[in-house]
Amino acid sequence: MTVSPVQRRPMSDRAADLFLSDYFILYMSLAFVAVLAPFLPTLVAPGNVVNVLSNMWPLLIVAIGQTFVLAIAGIDLSQGSVIAVTSVIGAALITLVADPVVLSKAPLWGIVVTETGGPLARMTGGVFLAICVMIAIAALIGLINGLAVAMLEMPPFMVTLVSMMTISALAIYLTQSENIAQLPESFVRLGKGDLVSVYFGVKDTSQLPRKEVFSFITYPMIIALTVVACAHILLNRTVFGRQVLAIGMNRKAAEISGVPVRRVIVLVFVVSAICAAIGGLLYAARLEAGRPTLGEGTFLLDVIGAAVIGGSSLFGGKAKIIWTVFGVFFFVLLSSALSAMNLSAFQVDMVKGAVILGAALLDVLRTRIMRERAR
Amino acid sequence: MMATTDRAMDIAVRHATYVIFAAVLIYFGAQVPSFLMPESLANIVKQSSFIGIAAIGMTFVLLTGGIDLSVGSVMFLAPLIAGYAMRELGVPVPVGFAVALGAGLAMGLINAVFIVWLRVIPFIVTLATLFLFRGFGTWLTSSTAFDFKEDFRAFGLSSFAGIPTPILIFAAVAILAHVVLAHTTFGRQIYALGNDREAARKAGVNMRLVEMKVYMICSVCAALAGFVLIAQIGRLDAGFGEGREFDVIAAAVLGGASLFGGVGSAFGAVVGATLIQTVKLGLVFTGVNLYLQPMMQGAIIILAVLADGVREKRMQAMQKRTIRSMTG
Amino acid sequence: MTALLSLNGLGKTWFGVPAVSDLTLEVAEGRLLGLIGQNGAGKSTLMNMIGGVVQPSAGGMRWQGAPYRPQTAGDATRTGIAFIHQELNLFTNLSVAENLYIDGFPHRLGLIDWPRIRTRSTDILKRLALNVDPDTQVGRLSPGERQLVEIAKALHNDARLIIFDEPTTSLTPRETVRLFETIASLRAEGRTIIYISHILGDVQRLADDIGVLRDGRLVDSGPVGDFSVQRMIRSMIGRDLSGLFPPRTGAPGTSAVLQAQSLTQPGVLQDVSLAVHAGEIVGLFGLMGAGRSELARILFGLDPCASGSVALNGAPVPKGIAARIAAGMAFVTENRREEGLMMEAPIADNLALVSLRTFGRGLLAVMDTEAVATRTEVTRRDLMIKAGDIRTQPVKALSGGNQQKVVIGKWQMTGPRLFMLDEPTRGVDVGAKFEIYTLIDRLATEGGGILMISSELDELMGMADRIVVMNRGEVMGQMARPAFDRERILSLAFREALP
Repeated sequence: MTVSPVQRRPMSDRAADLFLSDYFILYMSLAFVAVLAPFLPTLVAPGNVVNVLSNMWPLLIVAIGQTFVLAIAGIDLSQGSVIAVTSVIGAALITLVADPVVLSKAPLWGIVVTETGGPLARMTGGVFLAICVMIAIAALIGLINGLAVAMLEMPPFMVTLVSMMTISALAIYLTQSENIAQLPESFVRLGKGDLVSVYFGVKDTSQLPRKEVFSFITYPMIIALTVVACAHILLNRTVFGRQVLAIGMNRKAAEISGVPVRRVIVLVFVVSAICAAIGGLLYAARLEAGRPTLGEGTFLLDVIGAAVIGGSSLFGGKAKIIWTVFGVFFFVLLSSALSAMNLSAFQVDMVKGAVILGAALLDVLRTRIMRERAR
Repeated sequence: MMATTDRAMDIAVRHATYVIFAAVLIYFGAQVPSFLMPESLANIVKQSSFIGIAAIGMTFVLLTGGIDLSVGSVMFLAPLIAGYAMRELGVPVPVGFAVALGAGLAMGLINAVFIVWLRVIPFIVTLATLFLFRGFGTWLTSSTAFDFKEDFRAFGLSSFAGIPTPILIFAAVAILAHVVLAHTTFGRQIYALGNDREAARKAGVNMRLVEMKVYMICSVCAALAGFVLIAQIGRLDAGFGEGREFDVIAAAVLGGASLFGGVGSAFGAVVGATLIQTVKLGLVFTGVNLYLQPMMQGAIIILAVLADGVREKRMQAMQKRTIRSMTG
Repeated sequence: MTALLSLNGLGKTWFGVPAVSDLTLEVAEGRLLGLIGQNGAGKSTLMNMIGGVVQPSAGGMRWQGAPYRPQTAGDATRTGIAFIHQELNLFTNLSVAENLYIDGFPHRLGLIDWPRIRTRSTDILKRLALNVDPDTQVGRLSPGERQLVEIAKALHNDARLIIFDEPTTSLTPRETVRLFETIASLRAEGRTIIYISHILGDVQRLADDIGVLRDGRLVDSGPVGDFSVQRMIRSMIGRDLSGLFPPRTGAPGTSAVLQAQSLTQPGVLQDVSLAVHAGEIVGLFGLMGAGRSELARILFGLDPCASGSVALNGAPVPKGIAARIAAGMAFVTENRREEGLMMEAPIADNLALVSLRTFGRGLLAVMDTEAVATRTEVTRRDLMIKAGDIRTQPVKALSGGNQQKVVIGKWQMTGPRLFMLDEPTRGVDVGAKFEIYTLIDRLATEGGGILMISSELDELMGMADRIVVMNRGEVMGQMARPAFDRERILSLAFREALP
């Protein structure tokens, strides 16, 4: 054997370490920023950072739910429709005024919504209650998905495809495709939430430079980070999380080892739907309306794409919450950079496609390196 | 050996889609007799041609146990490229037709290269190309609608011997696909590969070639589907085909194709697509709220998937090793 | 007369361990060679070399005197060799005729020539007296019929040498009789056959010549007339076993840990009763397909059972796997890779899997990672699992023996009362085998009841206090340690009457 491979080893080893690290996508994102920043000063401008982050939080919450489903080698296509239906029902419950011209044909009219708004609109804690209802509805949908997958052993793809079709139809049906706006301030604030002004008691917007600095701290951020923390603990540190990963890695072995496979699968779909509802809550708050077409189109593919770029496997057993955080971060950052370059939505789509493909190829490569290392 | 009820059940499960189809026709026919008039039936078939042609292509992919999410973008981009060729270069419609199919073939080749040669899983590859193809298309049109030349529209609305062209194309694709799947070595190898990859490899099936072809066929069918529908409308909207991949997969699965491979047929895809369209039109005839239609569709698909699961279970039960004869 | 196939000093080494060594054998044209040997004697490696699936590392083969070096399975088929395996290579979604022709359909006008395929398939099926339509889907055929389709494939390819590998395991007695008739007619056509089976009576009845494999070598051969069943068994075993097994350190107690009463499941088990006592190792012996693993799966609650009762420590077992584990059952399955381990996951995660719940703290059941680390480390040391950092090293990086220790370890962590071990030393090298035997002995000495399933009679005779013999889903008999009688056990397992 020659000497050179021995000498070269540490270098390539270190490169491989970096490549295989959990933080690889984060490094890539940062490198991406570092490379582009000199050419695109707007990318790192405070305003843009705020923008990137505010786009990130709701998507992140939904993607975290998806991560749990991917971890058991499943897929949840119904998340977008869960967002739609919960946003519509939640908005109907708390809307302050409803226009009879627009909504009087909707099945919700007269039962939930009237001209004076929803039943919870002027109730103390009404918004909170409405949010609870939204989450309960999501949980119910997740339960149905989960039961169909676990008990009837239908493929998750078909089950959630059908619930996607059915539930988004239901959302549209409920309002006859109209938005429900005029939501109470306490709900709308969840979408933007200017926490700094709340903390310091300063309501005047044109005032402090300091406020600019902290303006990235928003309700969505706090909610998203709470979800991240909870999900991380749930997936990584609890018995449930271990069971989820065990099912994804080897379902038969998990079953024989006494893991309640069916119950865990059902719960995973419930978690996914609840995450979708929380993300949808933020979207609806930002939009200041419940919209039955929220989460349609390629939204769901964004979610799955971000989770997969992060490194979670569609074959199950390989999933981490921080991977998804980085994946979503990278995804949003990329979209933002592309729009900062004055590229339009379609070019963003193309680059998105290329990036997903690139990430998949990297994963093929990573797996190969890992396999060689194990040898 | 098998009890009569059991056998009846067996047949019902094996042909669940047809059973549902018959029930749907009888139901709507009883509600609104004009529903069964030849004109409305012809209308159903014509409207099914779009999803139906794409579903036939999807069946090829599903038979191998793969999936193609990019069909919605292919049915957008391929006619668009053909449209440019016809409008800007002034090529006649038949050449435009060939251009659309060629574009579809090229897109299928891109999918196939990543799936077959670089071994990335089909779901991810076609998810990525879904974005890529659509992005490329919207870049061409700058996100606006694209208007085709009049003679193109004339092609879409033409008919031959009293039969509308879209129906003729639909029928031709169905027959051709059936012949390929049922009566050629390539077709039978697709089934073999979907049933047991390892055994297929041992039997000397050229796996790579078969899989490449399958993805190319799927994209060509999607391109054709888009072309046929756009020819009827004469205008390509920016969001055309978005989300259609799910309709196409649903039609194929409803027609008996299994997501696990090895099961499905061209005529099944035709039946699946037509059934969905029948339900849609039937709901219109009976005056059911438009927005409720996808829910009925969903219910029917879930029935078909359930039947598929039952069928699969029965197959597995038959394969299970018996240690001693049941009689003892 | 030249031999059809001759093997000359053939050898194959797996990772330094010889599976087949210096094997010289001639298969004469038109004769039926019965090949017998215990599990692990090298039969399957030998077949894989003939079939082109693996390449020999020493020696060579000749086909009708010319060198024969198959690189793929296709080469063997083209040469004229067909295999009828226990697991069939048929496409269940295709018709019988299509399965015959899948590697080359005849065409007419660019399309498959169905009429021709149908007539030729019908001819072949008729020759085999298989009365099914060639258009029938294979998925709808019984196991026996499928096997005949596999034979039809061999006839279609005009195979001159047909190798049967344990063909009768999944057949009913009637189907077996039919198979033998078919084999007789194949011989009448002048085809050469190698017949591999554990069922010595069948081999004796069918074969012209006998070859006995042991430890990868041909240890005995000759015309069938020279072979009594006793001689076959003697040649198959023929080895001094002392020193291969650790001495037993405890003695069986009297309180029953497991008591199964007349378990019956149509098609699987017939009136099986079984008891395992505290500190006792009960060996469950039988041929492949005798229903041993199926019995264990039923006891563990994985498979349904129509009638009968199971009691653990005197109480009826609860329903469900988790509840049975909690009640003190443990089950090391025969398939480590598919049912035992999460191959990609670290060793510690695998060890902790069964006892996950005991690590949960508080309402959310947050894992007590420290407890996981300490307890898995204790188990690692206890079982002497040779590994680096068990928290990071994936199980797939371990040797077979150490992997098996991880499986045993994950169950041992729950402190079970009844240990069911299905083929605990399969795919484990000799040195690690001894360690696993020692471990099993210790588990018993600590008061657990052990149900040890094995197709290696030697290891059961070396380890068990009592051996129960099964055949075709029934318990054929049992005997306690001092009275172990190899030939009687084998004859019970083979269901042969010894003179």
